[in-house]
Amino acid sequence: MAVDIRNEVLRRVYMVLFMVVLIALVIFVKALKITITDGEKWRDKGKNLYVAHKSLEAERGNILTEDGSLLATSLPFFEIRFDLNSTGMLEDDFYDNLDSLSYCLANFVDNSYTVGGMRDRLLQNREAGHRNLLIKRSASYLEKEMISKFPLFNKGQYRGGFKVEPKPKRLRPFKRLARRTIGRVKGVDNPFGLEARFDEYLTGEEGKRYMFRAPNNTWIPLNDLTEIEPQKGDDIVTTFDINLQSAAHEALLRGMNYHQAESGTAILMEVKTGAIKAIANLGKTEDGYFEVYNYAIGSKYEPGSTFKLASIMALLEDGHIDLYDSVAINRGKMKFYEEEMLDASKESLLLDTTTVRRAFEISSNVGIAGLVNKYYGNDDEGQARKFIKRLKEMKLHLPLNIEIDGEASPYIKEAYSKEDKWSGITLPWMSIGYEVELTPLQLLNFFNAVANDGQMMKPYMVSEIQHFGHPVRKFKPTVIDRQIASPETIRKAKILLESVVENGTAYKLKTSKYKFAGKTGTAQIDYRKFGSRRDDVKHSASFAGYFPAHDPVYSCVVVIRNPTQNGFYGGDVAGPIFREIADKCFAQKIELHRALNERPKPTLVSKQLPTYSVGNRTDLMKAMDYLNLPYETHTDTDWAVLKSESDTLNVFKRSISEEVIPNVVGMGLRDALFILENLGLEVVVNGVGKVSLQSIKSGTKVQGQTIKLTLK
Amino acid sequence: MSIGNKIYAGLRGDRTIWMVLILLSIFSLLAVYSATGLYAYQKYGGNMEAALFKHLVFLSGGLFLTYICYTLHYRQYMRISPILLIICIPLLVYTIGFGVEVNEAKRWVEVPFIGLTFQTSEFAKLVLIIYVARAISAKQEYIKDFQSAFLPIIVPILIICSLIAPSDLSSAMLLFFVTIGMMFLGRVALKYILLLIFLGVVVFAMLIIIGQVYPDLVRSATWITRMQEFMDATSDGSYQIVHSKIAIADGEIFGAGPGNSVMRNYLPAPYSDFVFSIICEEYGLVGAFVTLSLYVLLFFRCVGVVTRAPKAFGAMLVMGLGLLLVGQALANMAVAVDLVPVTGLTLPLLSMGGTSIMFTCIAFGMILSVSRYIEKAT
Repeated sequence: MAVDIRNEVLRRVYMVLFMVVLIALVIFVKALKITITDGEKWRDKGKNLYVAHKSLEAERGNILTEDGSLLATSLPFFEIRFDLNSTGMLEDDFYDNLDSLSYCLANFVDNSYTVGGMRDRLLQNREAGHRNLLIKRSASYLEKEMISKFPLFNKGQYRGGFKVEPKPKRLRPFKRLARRTIGRVKGVDNPFGLEARFDEYLTGEEGKRYMFRAPNNTWIPLNDLTEIEPQKGDDIVTTFDINLQSAAHEALLRGMNYHQAESGTAILMEVKTGAIKAIANLGKTEDGYFEVYNYAIGSKYEPGSTFKLASIMALLEDGHIDLYDSVAINRGKMKFYEEEMLDASKESLLLDTTTVRRAFEISSNVGIAGLVNKYYGNDDEGQARKFIKRLKEMKLHLPLNIEIDGEASPYIKEAYSKEDKWSGITLPWMSIGYEVELTPLQLLNFFNAVANDGQMMKPYMVSEIQHFGHPVRKFKPTVIDRQIASPETIRKAKILLESVVENGTAYKLKTSKYKFAGKTGTAQIDYRKFGSRRDDVKHSASFAGYFPAHDPVYSCVVVIRNPTQNGFYGGDVAGPIFREIADKCFAQKIELHRALNERPKPTLVSKQLPTYSVGNRTDLMKAMDYLNLPYETHTDTDWAVLKSESDTLNVFKRSISEEVIPNVVGMGLRDALFILENLGLEVVVNGVGKVSLQSIKSGTKVQGQTIKLTLK
Repeated sequence: MSIGNKIYAGLRGDRTIWMVLILLSIFSLLAVYSATGLYAYQKYGGNMEAALFKHLVFLSGGLFLTYICYTLHYRQYMRISPILLIICIPLLVYTIGFGVEVNEAKRWVEVPFIGLTFQTSEFAKLVLIIYVARAISAKQEYIKDFQSAFLPIIVPILIICSLIAPSDLSSAMLLFFVTIGMMFLGRVALKYILLLIFLGVVVFAMLIIIGQVYPDLVRSATWITRMQEFMDATSDGSYQIVHSKIAIADGEIFGAGPGNSVMRNYLPAPYSDFVFSIICEEYGLVGAFVTLSLYVLLFFRCVGVVTRAPKAFGAMLVMGLGLLLVGQALANMAVAVDLVPVTGLTLPLLSMGGTSIMFTCIAFGMILSVSRYIEKAT
């Protein structure tokens, strides 16, 4: 019996044991299925649903002028929202702070609400279950800080429902200046300008943060997974000079308004380097003139008379002519096949022949086209090729690959090319700037090469890419061609350009203050359609040149399309704008003026040596060196006193303390002011000369007093 | 002789069960440390050590209880079991009426003066199992009789289970099946067992009806949703189940490594109900296999004890406790792998939670006590 019981129990125990093992196996097999068979599905699901990969926008780099002024910068702005139903928000916290929060919001953030109205708004939104109420769309940093201290908000995101998202704004502190060239990336379909071209540098590296969404919808930054901090974008240093840019813009705008033109551009370039110092583009809109398109780079046009420089240089280079050779003017009329070419100059009507130089000065179409036709025309394909070859040697057929996208390629016809519709009159018309197309910048670059003694530089706008002020990449001036024409040809070309201003079509622009050189251009737009000398013909007026004529520093081009009032000739429309820009350059740039110390050093007439001078040591020493006066230095401090003893000059130490008022007697006002104001003193000045008296004795403790200086 | 050896020599009873206990405790520390990510973030401001320390304190306390229970002769339990049963019933009633609500379930009572909460059902489980073990072993000679054997056993079972069920159906069902298992082992006639199952279903149905009328009293609504979620073949399962599966799948074979769990941040109660998923995620299928094996091994050892003294109260007690621990463990893991609907059952010893650990340790102590004295007797 007992054995039976025992066996029965044991049988049942083993059955239960079998069940347990079976269940355990089933569980394991199910785990296997989840992991292996369905593994991919579940793992994907996990990734997609809950490991959020939030990108953190990097601060965009700045675009700077050559001296570090901001052309474009990103300022931190913040979007502030209120999570009225944050899971971490306590009921009591909300209602306790509702009144004071409404008060703050209504008074300091949104005046369109009364305190009560704001309170209702918050209440309604909370009851409606809203979690994303907009408080302020773009708050500055200071505003954000203020709002974050409001009641309830000061409890933070989780308990206070205070949500902040950085929304940086791109600002151009100089507003309209060089707007097209600086460009834009955000909020436009086709990004343009430097912003677009250097986008990869400016953007920086997006940061990445892994966030986990917890079941209650809180986001937890997960620091144990790799978090990538956003890397601020690099800064782009341009070659632009904001003063010159401003001058170019203003001058162009004035000209555009005066002549009511359709569009216009002005470019200023540094001769030696090709650095673009200013680039202004204006187009007519209903609200006035704005930078709507980068005409300087993006639009090509028939240059007209400015192109005559290239024709003359080709003739000179081939030795066909010299400046004082005689050239037929034919009283300003010449027929090429069926087409009659006319001169615009009234002087031409009186002339049968003149010199090459004079023909260029008065911009005689007949003169130049006649010469070109004589030496390269006559149905001689070989000769025509030679002319085209010369133009190509001057790189007039090549785009410049400037740092901005959208440069139009120049158009120079191939000799006798059917494709280019070369005709019998192509050559003469080409020689005076028709049937060829150039952008204003390409034209300028050609003139610049002449100014630069034949060395053609590649125009550039970006000199450096910086990361936190340290250069990461530098762009040096690049030479396109060492010598686009022989030095002799260049020398003669320069003479011609100078005489255009001295005696030619631009003589009205002449000034006694400095010499400049250049060429006017007046081209008819679509002249083929209208034929010449028709009243409804449109013009493009241009002036290209450089200054100072003797040692060119800047070259400049101004092109005005379709001026409708107050004249249309290049010399009348574009020329004055050129002059105004040049004048501004001279007013602002010391390097344009001949330095005084290029002349022989002055010698001291009398034996009178300076007796007692106090000032910056290096300044004193510089002055002594300049005057060839021997002296002995006894100190290396910043400030020094110069004393003469018998026949030698000695530089002694003058100690300037930061705690007590120093002795400034004997100093120039500049040094005295610098020292005293840096100490926090108020300075009142009387008289002229060096400081002879100070109202507070040296050695007195500095306490922000007012000190009177008497100069004598 | 090192301290380890001393302890080893000093500890009697089934050493494999001791080993299982120690290993599970160590696993428990690892799993809880990993699983408390979000919990610690919200509660202790990211101080994971605080949560771990609390768990460590419970574990140490639990192991101390194990030792005490192990030193007591298991017949002591038999002796006090009717008294405990009588204490147990009003305690459960009190829980239904005045219990502390946690996660929408009233399972806890606050212990006066200490401020700690205490899960009465855990206590009741043990008490009932001891009582049933005692009754079965005492009535072995006439166990197939209805009136003298069956009725006295099933009345307390039905009372206790229906008192636990309103707030904690899964515990009640587990307990119900464990006692049925015990009766099966104790040679109770199969027709009576079927009758008992039928009675259980009736009680369950009544509870659901009560739950429809008094939702505060019985959580029948939750049961129905969970059943529906489980039965719904079109969806991947409830939020918890989806995340549990993601966790298991993420672990692949060798796991993501200790502390690298991601899903702990999404799984509700990753440190208790879904600790198995986190183990799978961090230690992979290997970890799952080891964990399962430890529980199965525990049951094997319990069976080993029984084979030596199949008739005695001790054997019934060991089987009952073994079924309770292992059954609960399997149920918990079955939930994690989506074999059964979501329950609130913890993984014995591995899950965080004071009461659960305490009574699990007591159960271990009792099993060890039986194994020790049976060892002595044979």
